[in-house]
Order: sequence, then structure tokens, then C-alpha cells
Amino acid sequence: MARYIVRRLMTMLLSMLLISIIVFAVVEIAPGNVARNILGAFATPEQERSMENQLGLDRPAITRYFSWLFGSDWQVSRLIGMPVREIVISQGTQQNYRQWWAVDEDGSLVQWDVVDGQLIKLVRQENGSTLPVPDEAGWKVDEEGRTYFWGLDNLNHAALWFQGEGGAEYTYGYSGWTQSTDSPVDYVPLSRGLLRGDAGISLRYKRPVSEVIGRKMFNSAVLAGLAFLVSIPTAIVLGVIAGLNEGKPIDRIISMGGLVTAASPDFATGIFLIIILGLWLKVLPGATVFLSDTAIFDDPRMLVMPVLTASLVEIGYVLRITRASVVEVMNSAYVRTAILKGLSHRKVVLSHVLRNAMMAPITVIMLHINWLIGGLVVVESVFGYPGMGNFILNAALYKDIYSIEAGAMVLIVLAVSTQLVADIIYSYLNPRIRYT
Amino acid sequence: MAEQTLTLKNLRIAARARQMARLRESLTVVFASKTAIVGLVMVLLWVLVAVFAPLVTKFGPLEQDYLMINQGPSGAHILGTDHMGRDVWSRIAFGARTILTLGPLSVMVAFVVGITLGLPSGYYGGWIDETVMRILDAIMAFPTILLYMIIISAVGASPFNVVVAIAIGGAPGIARLVRALAMDIRTREYVAAAKLRGDKDIQIMLREILPNCRGPLIVDFLLRIGYAAFYIGTLGFLGLGLPPPTPDWGGMVQEGHSRMFANVWPVLSATLSIVTLVIGLNLFADGLREETMRYQ
Repeated sequence: MARYIVRRLMTMLLSMLLISIIVFAVVEIAPGNVARNILGAFATPEQERSMENQLGLDRPAITRYFSWLFGSDWQVSRLIGMPVREIVISQGTQQNYRQWWAVDEDGSLVQWDVVDGQLIKLVRQENGSTLPVPDEAGWKVDEEGRTYFWGLDNLNHAALWFQGEGGAEYTYGYSGWTQSTDSPVDYVPLSRGLLRGDAGISLRYKRPVSEVIGRKMFNSAVLAGLAFLVSIPTAIVLGVIAGLNEGKPIDRIISMGGLVTAASPDFATGIFLIIILGLWLKVLPGATVFLSDTAIFDDPRMLVMPVLTASLVEIGYVLRITRASVVEVMNSAYVRTAILKGLSHRKVVLSHVLRNAMMAPITVIMLHINWLIGGLVVVESVFGYPGMGNFILNAALYKDIYSIEAGAMVLIVLAVSTQLVADIIYSYLNPRIRYT
Repeated sequence: MAEQTLTLKNLRIAARARQMARLRESLTVVFASKTAIVGLVMVLLWVLVAVFAPLVTKFGPLEQDYLMINQGPSGAHILGTDHMGRDVWSRIAFGARTILTLGPLSVMVAFVVGITLGLPSGYYGGWIDETVMRILDAIMAFPTILLYMIIISAVGASPFNVVVAIAIGGAPGIARLVRALAMDIRTREYVAAAKLRGDKDIQIMLREILPNCRGPLIVDFLLRIGYAAFYIGTLGFLGLGLPPPTPDWGGMVQEGHSRMFANVWPVLSATLSIVTLVIGLNLFADGLREETMRYQ
């Protein structure tokens, strides 16, 4: 058993590596200019190039892949010849603001800037302010005789300055474009890397992805959990009723209903519910607006329709499996024996049929997680529910690459590990699997 | 000489008869299942609408009438008009063309890719099989919608890209199926005979193994057209389908969704259309599968 689990874990690691390559390749290497998508059609090519440079998108794909996964701090500390450290500041309006600093020989935290051609070292003080110290000795000379300096700027990049040839930099901030000279000509954005819990800065929220994603994951988990609680018991009860009454009208009705809900696209189910419950019967608010990430708890009525939609799709599927399983068990030899033995119908059903028929739906539910996650993405977008699905969809529409990558990886890790757990449970219940 | 031609002719007649018998057989399978017939009728209705779209509509799908926006059903516009004054029925009818072309097309592309990967994988086994399967496992680990979302967001929304995305999403499953069938069939006597005959591997794969996989593959093909229609609708709804103003059911739901309190007809008609088509395809494939299983 232990060997089986270890083997499965190894394959899973290999798969995850491949998956990370696929996600990265599809999101970042494919055609489609990230900068243009964010800046709009009226940005000049210089502005686009400047933005790509600041995001580090002009670096080779392999380097970017490794920085994305393992972080770029070790790479940067080699470049600038000093260790770097990330600190978290909570001060005034800046809550949990992350900043990267280089650690000087005397242990002080420093960043650099170039003003009027002068290299200035900014030494961080106890109170969070910086003390500018001229650092003319810092300039180095490369093979071509140009004076250069690799250091950290104050926007979490490693930056390369050339003395006397300040690049023109365009920064797109909340207040629009600012153009500055004396600015660095090359950048390496700093991050700890996905494996160390840093998925980069969201291009849309301008905040660390890992910070934004936490709340969304929680909201999605609430939706999925509630849907699960509603759908699984309902589906199993209906499936058993249909299975025990195979061929009778009640079975036909339940089976047909199951087929319709399972086959209908999730968004169609959601739209029907809005039209029927919100527009025609007016029992629930038809249009819900989730104003904040925590709004789902302000008015529980808002949760009803998303949960119902997610449940209906799942009910249809699990119901059909349960029904088929019950029918199969009912026709088995041991149930016939039990009936012929003179056991009451009630007893046969409770102690022979149900226990044996539950195996299939339980495994199927677990193996079904991929589909469920896909369904949640759609349900969330129908209702504007502030969860992972909506987060990834908006990231995809905005081309917020770091959010897409992080969101995709989180969902896939979730799917793959659930699958693994399901496999292990299944092989525990059914030892024959282990040896094949 | 005359005798020889006669035998050849007889052989041809016999072959034709066998084909007819096979066709009759498959028709029997379809008509034996009530589910399959119901599904077939639903799908055929939409196929008819799609084929004769210009004949059954009075307006073009892109024709706008700014004096007639958000109208309910009337004699001129049987399903009303949308927020741009376009005839909803006409957009539905032409939208049927979109989904009924892109659906089968993307499944066909997926089959070509899946067979290309699965056939050698199952026939040769060994490291080819191992490599191909590892990669396919990785793709299959993606929740389908997520895979489509990141592909489309990377390459942009267009009919071609939707077909590519759906083909990429479907190919691994098909490859797995073909591989399993090929692994079974390669041990049969007629494959051994072909090998003795000196046939090349590619000939054996395409002439001996592939034709003998067709039963399960046909059922799978039909099922997958249902999935494809499902996903094309979903992608359209998510805003990742065909760019407007193409008449596309998913896109119509997306557009009508936010305006449903002003006019429910566009969103209701488009949603009903998708649901009936997808359920029709599902019923047909399901009925067929059950019937072939019973038949065997």
C-alpha cells in the first residue's frame, strides 16, 4: 500500500511539472501582446516596450519560467552582489505592503536611485523613511567601457542603470502616464516564486496575486461546500428511488429530469432559475450584485440561486450513476437469494442493496471533481459570484497573466490531489486495483 | 475469362450487399431505441433550421432596426427583437449554423489528433506509449473549461481558435480510447496475418486496427458532438466564444443576460435552443450506446 502511494505521488509530481510547463507556455508564450491588452490601443510602441521591460516580459521564456516557479531573488542577489530580503510593511494606508530591499554589509536595508546622473543609495531608517547617501563608488565598468550599476529600485525590481544614458521610462499608474529620465534600462522583477507562495503582482489589482486569491478561494469553497451538501443527499435519495422502481413512471420522471439537468450547460440552468425564480415568480432577487468579496454573507438570499444552480447540475449526474448502480445490484444473484430466502423488501433494500450500490456514486463523485470545478467557474460567472472561477475568467479577459497562472495552478493542484486521494481510498476499498 | 469477370462482379455484388446489411443493421440499432429516436428528431429539427436558415427567416441575422429594439414576439418578429433591433428568430436560426458547423468540425479535428496519438501509442507500447500518455494525463488533469479559458485568452476569440481549443481539450480522451482499443486489437489473428504478409506498421494501423475500432469510436464521436455544443455555448456565454456580431447562441445568452429584465426573449430563446440541441445530441448518443451494448 505504501509503495502504491509513493508511486502515485511520484507520477503526480511529474504531472504537476508538465502541467506547470503547459500553463506557462499557453499563457505567456502564445501570441497576443500583454502590454497592449492592458495599455489599450493608443499606447505607443515605446510605451509598450517600456512596460514589457518593467514586467520582465522581455527576458527569455526559460528564465521567466524558472523565476515564476522558484522566484528571482537568488538570481537578483547574484546580479547585485548582495543578499536581498522581502519585508512586509503595515503603515497608514499601506497594509501588508511587500517591499524588497538589499542587505548591505553593515546589515542595513538599502535601495538605489539615480538623480541627475548621480547614484544615490537610499538607506532605510527605523521609522520607515530613507536616508539618501551618494554612492558614486558603486558604479562598475563593463567590457565595453560603459559605467553601469545593478541595484534595487523602489518598485520591487532589480534595475540596471548606465551612467549618463538614462533610459526614458514610462510608468502607467493610477494617475496615467508618467515619463521619467535617468531611469534604468533593464529590469528583473523580484518575487519569491510560486512554490514559495508568491505568484507575482496582479496586473489588474496591482496587488500580490496570493493576497487577492485567498478570499476568492474561501468564497468558492463556501459555494462548492453548500452545493455539495444540497446535491449529494438529494441525488442519492432520488437515484435510489428511481433504481428501486425501475421502469415505473416515477423512475421515468426522475431519470428524465436527471438527464435534462445533467446535460444542460450550467449557465443555461442558472439563466432558467433566474428567469423562473427572479423574473416570473419574484421569490428571489433576480439580479444580485456582490459589491465586495465578503458580500456573500450579508444577504444569504443571494447565495440561494448560485448554490441551487451548482447543485442541479451535480444532482443530475450523481442521480444517474446511483440509479444505474442500484438497478445493477437489484438484478444481482445475491439480492435474488436474499428475496428468495424470505427477507422483507425493506430489509433487502437496507442491508443488501444500499450498501453495495453506494460504492459507485462515492467513487464517481470524487473522480468527478474536474467537472465540478469547471461547473463552478461557469456558475460563478452567471451570478457574478466573487470566487475563483470569476477571478480566473476576469483575469483571462483582462490578460492578467500572473492571476491566470496562479488561479489555474491552484485549481489543478486541487483537482489532481483530490483525484489522488480518491484513487487511494478506492484502492484501499478494492485491493485488486493496487497490483495492476 | 468471362467466368472471371462474373466472379468479380459477384464479389462486388456481395460486398454491396454486405454494406447494405451493415447499414440496415445500424439503422435497426437507431430505431430500436426510443431515446435515440427522440434525440435524433430534436437534432434533425435543428439541422433543418440551420440548412434552410435563409428560407425560414424574414430578416438577416445582422439586420438592425433602431425603431424596433427590445420588442416582444409579434407577427413580424416571432421571437421579438434584441437590444439592437435584430430579429431574435433569425439570429437563432443562423446561430444553429454556427454551432452545428463548429461542433462537428472541432470533434473531427480532435479525432484526427487523438487517433494520430493513440494509435501508435497502443500499437507500439513501450516508451512511445509512456511519453504520449504522460503528456495526455497532464492535459486531462485540467478542468476542461479552465483549459479552454486559458487557451482562448492566450490566442484570442475566433471560430478557428474555438475549434482548436475544443480539439485540444477532446483529443486526450479520444487518444486514450483508441489506445485501449488498439492494444486489444493488435493481439488478434488478422493483425498477426498482416504482419506475416509483410505489411508495414502504418498499413496495419490504418487498414487493420483503425477500421475495427469504429464501433466504439462512432458512439464516442456522437457523444463528443454533444460535449462540443455544450462547450461552444459555454465559451460564448463566458465571452470567449465567437466575436460579435456573429450569431452565436452562447453569445446571445451573454448579451441578453444583463438585459433580461427589459426583454427576456433573446436570452430565453437562445438558452432553450442550446438546451434542446445539447439534450437531443445526448439522447441520441446515449440511446445508441445502450442499444449497441445490448446488441453485442
